[in-house]
Amino acid sequence: MNVQDYYEDLKRLARQVRAKYGLVTPRVLPSDLRRIYFSNGIEIDIWPYRLRNLRGAFICDKLGTTVMLAGGLPQDPLVFTMAHELKHFFRDRDLGLSYCDQSNMNRTLEIGAEVFASELLFPDRDFVMHMERMGVRRNQCLPNTLVQLKHWTRTTLSYAGLAIKAERLRFAPPGSLTKVKTWRKLEAAYGLRV
Amino acid sequence: MDLLDHVAAQIKDLRINYNSGEGLSQEALAKQLKVAPNTISRWETGMYRPGLADLERLARFFGVSMMTFLPSEMGVGDNENLVALLRTARQLHPADLEELRKYAEFRKARSIFKGKSRPKPGRKGSRHK
Repeated sequence: MNVQDYYEDLKRLARQVRAKYGLVTPRVLPSDLRRIYFSNGIEIDIWPYRLRNLRGAFICDKLGTTVMLAGGLPQDPLVFTMAHELKHFFRDRDLGLSYCDQSNMNRTLEIGAEVFASELLFPDRDFVMHMERMGVRRNQCLPNTLVQLKHWTRTTLSYAGLAIKAERLRFAPPGSLTKVKTWRKLEAAYGLRV
Repeated sequence: MDLLDHVAAQIKDLRINYNSGEGLSQEALAKQLKVAPNTISRWETGMYRPGLADLERLARFFGVSMMTFLPSEMGVGDNENLVALLRTARQLHPADLEELRKYAEFRKARSIFKGKSRPKPGRKGSRHK
């Protein structure tokens, strides 16, 4: 299996998980993921101590299957991290330990977890459908478009996640959205809470 | 000595020998941990078992591993799995790696403590039959 096939396989898995657990919108809440964790016997530990870059870790060994999540994460990063670690449960259990921070994001397994999480929260097919409804054509998606999309769908996929998806699906030229750092200002300009 | 007595003895020992033998009063320790003063006394006599989160805070306060509270025959020295597990995480920031190590110890302590609590005083006979 080449890397692209591997990522497509993970997206398929994410859609299967959505179907199995009745996730029908792009608004996936921590409670939805807790339900999935619970039904698969995965224990969640919110770690209250300061972490630098680490957002989550998955450990599966003779002591059980647990996910450690950084305490105090806002809702969107929390949901994404939970979705990310869920991929490790479904596909990387034999590795024993996987962790999510900034240093290991280039590894195929970690990129795969990001692909899985992104599809679990907001499937590509639904994203394309929403873009078409909004009349957005290829390479025409602007930062404001994503603010509007997030507002309309109330998706818990972060702006960073939406930007990557929009560029990958060619709704925006490469780098035009992923380099944007002013999402909160754009929200404020759009009249949303900051 | 059973597990809970061992925990009690370790807490007392760490408190008495705190700061190179200078020691720390139960009240002062309670203040540091933000618990009621008599809680420390109850932990040290084994009347109450501190929760895992309490043990983690005690370990951090005294600057020791959480495994300190476990008897050696329960696998304190058996860190092969832990080392193997953490070997894959070497590229983490050292502070995060340290937290991951503490989390791995926390899991181990939890597995050992599971089902090892003592009945709380004052609740004798209050269970429905």
